[in-house]
Amino acid sequence: MSDAVIDVHGLSKSFGRFRALDGLDLQVERGQVHGFLGPNGAGKSTTIRVLLGLLRADAGTVRLLGGDPWAHVVALHRRLAYVPGDVSLWPGMTGGEAIDLLGALRGGLDERRRAELLDRFELDPTKRGRQYSKGNRQKVAIVAALASDVELLVLDEPTSGLDPLMESVFQEVIGEAKARGTTVLLSSHILAEVESLADRLSIIRDGRVVQSGTLADLRGRTRTTIHATLARTPDATTLATLGSARLDGDRLTATVDPTRVGDAMAALTPYGLTTLTVAPPSLESLFLRLYGDDEGPR
Amino acid sequence: MSTSLTGTRPLLHATLRHDGRRFAPWVAIATLLTASSVVVYPWVFPDVAARRLLAVAIDANPTLSLIFGPAHDLTTVDGFNAWRALALGGFLVALGAIHAVTRATRAQEDSGQADLLASGVLGRSARLLTGVALAVVGSLAAGVVAGVVAALCGGGWESSLLLGATFTASGWMFAGVAAVTAQVGSDARTASSLAVGTLGLLFALRGFCAALDAPAWTLWANPLGWTLQTRPASGDHWAPLLLAVALTGALVVVAFVLQARRDFGQGAIAPRPGPARGTARSTWHLAVRVNRAPGVTWAIAFVALGMVFGYFTTSITDVVASNAGVQQILASGATTPDELTAVFLRTVLSLVGIVATVPGVQVLLRVRSEELDDRVEPLLAGAVTRARYYASHVVLALTVVTVNVLVAGTLVALLASRAGIGVSFADALVQGIATVPAAWTVVALSVAVVGARPVASPAAWAGVLVSFMLTLLGPTFGLDDWVLGISPFWHVPLTTAATPDWSGSAWTTLVTAALVAVGFAGFRRRDLAR
Repeated sequence: MSDAVIDVHGLSKSFGRFRALDGLDLQVERGQVHGFLGPNGAGKSTTIRVLLGLLRADAGTVRLLGGDPWAHVVALHRRLAYVPGDVSLWPGMTGGEAIDLLGALRGGLDERRRAELLDRFELDPTKRGRQYSKGNRQKVAIVAALASDVELLVLDEPTSGLDPLMESVFQEVIGEAKARGTTVLLSSHILAEVESLADRLSIIRDGRVVQSGTLADLRGRTRTTIHATLARTPDATTLATLGSARLDGDRLTATVDPTRVGDAMAALTPYGLTTLTVAPPSLESLFLRLYGDDEGPR
Repeated sequence: MSTSLTGTRPLLHATLRHDGRRFAPWVAIATLLTASSVVVYPWVFPDVAARRLLAVAIDANPTLSLIFGPAHDLTTVDGFNAWRALALGGFLVALGAIHAVTRATRAQEDSGQADLLASGVLGRSARLLTGVALAVVGSLAAGVVAGVVAALCGGGWESSLLLGATFTASGWMFAGVAAVTAQVGSDARTASSLAVGTLGLLFALRGFCAALDAPAWTLWANPLGWTLQTRPASGDHWAPLLLAVALTGALVVVAFVLQARRDFGQGAIAPRPGPARGTARSTWHLAVRVNRAPGVTWAIAFVALGMVFGYFTTSITDVVASNAGVQQILASGATTPDELTAVFLRTVLSLVGIVATVPGVQVLLRVRSEELDDRVEPLLAGAVTRARYYASHVVLALTVVTVNVLVAGTLVALLASRAGIGVSFADALVQGIATVPAAWTVVALSVAVVGARPVASPAAWAGVLVSFMLTLLGPTFGLDDWVLGISPFWHVPLTTAATPDWSGSAWTTLVTAALVAVGFAGFRRRDLAR
């Protein structure tokens, strides 16, 4: 409890009659990379804006680095850095100037790391804000945030617009930050990014966290898919033990509980397996189920 | 040419539907200006005697003709309407036209909307033509509506329609100017600053030439002078408007040629690489940085304004001497020449003060537009309190106002003190300094609006507008003191009096403090970017 960097309970926020957040709970432990996922308009950015003290919570308790994000703005913001998903730069100001300004307002940045990040992200700091493409604007914000030594990184879809090469640089850099002990709240739609970086995930829908846990926890709740080609047709009782199984000629498709993959193999082996794929539940199938399901998970 | 205009018709249709209503306030305000003259004049000045008195009062205060142009005939309602509405109405419609063109051309390229449009089946010149067409239609609507409404309210048909036509002509010419500046400036802000600057310069020159009875060619050389030469209700000349139409055509052709030669999203000047390291390391430096370009432009404008008003002040004795009505008032002992000069000086410097509030209000509105452009969020995610961020801009706004008033005031004082009209340098400068607290109050209103009720941001201009109307028009309408007192400039003391009464300044400063407090309290409490 004492180590929770972000601790949110029952957070609600309405804009006029629209309820953007509706009793949201979120805990992020120190040193963790926490994935924050959800469909468009679920309330991710609103949550982050409340955490940054830009919006005032209507109800609920919000603790950030042990303080109140609305009341202790300056003290808390010295210890965190933020990358917005849609970076808007001053049209006449160069990227280098913007990085220095944002760094200075946070309380200074690490010169060596600034130079190193500019180099690794291949960013030209002498271009003006209006000359940058979307991806390059994003890089300016990423360099500005990561060049300072902070305890918490708040990243709101930080890699939107980055090319795959830069995306992998970004993952490296976040990995290094994690190794230094930095806590990261990572809101993203890029599932591969979350899968490779995050220790824990929270999934938000309609202003509420519907599921939270480690990747393994969440995976444990979905079923493994088995595709097999069989030499002989199995009988109905065997099929029944597999749960939802479908036979299409000699090709079998079945989904089983992850703990029962071995049983399924034992049941199928006598029928002469010629091909076999066993797919663990992908994050993608998990999300398709969670996002798409009207009533949400039970 | 024909394929480069493909798609103009559907684009214009959509633009008229979605952006057309943005022209409505300009139509409304121009109509209000002329219709109110027609309705109110017979009521306030019912007989010829009262009207003659007004004519004398206007002649005695040449500051008025600087803004409104010469009053040819104030004995008729139409003559009064022409004097009061022609210059300002044309100015306002021209502003509307500039904004319409800039928004439909340059602003779209800045926001990326133009990329979306240009990728469709759309000729290269279609967007520019649409912007110009929008302004042309809007200006026409302003002229027709204003003319017809004024006539229905009791104005003469021909002079009312001619007056409306001068509004339209001003709008058209500056649609042309804005079409050209949209090709020259590399972003919307630069483009509209260039166009508005041109409008302001020509407007000031016209007022200056008209007020000083400069040779006629000085008015013919100035496109805005052409509208003055139509003389609605005292001659009704339509011909000068043909010049305006010709100029509009020429400017639009130039704009099309320039557009064909430039790259999409670029201006006439290619951007050079900037510094790799930044020097702006605080919110104060950022505020200065963001407002630097308009700040420098305004400072230059105030040097020019100080010169114009200064030379103008030196001519006060000539203007008064040549005026029979004023001579009568002086002979009756109701006032002394010195007092007349002092009041005149105060009016001129109040006008400087009112104009100086414009850049101040702009600094505050910039806070709002930065917020809506998502640029404040990353700043406040740093170790910056909201109060400090806002204070940087408020202090800058008050400083800009002060510096501009002092620059223009010093020049006026310098020129006036050397002209032998009985005004010392110190007297005039102190009068200028006394104007500053009043200008602060107007800026403070925008501090309160942007801080506490940002949705109502346009209301920030209310202070400027009300001060202008009450200071310049209020006295001629014989309004009560409590109404005139709404304008903080009414409380500016006459510093050359034996015992200047500074209590008015103290009160306005108190109001300033209260408004600033409201603004800060609001900015600290409200949600950002909402």
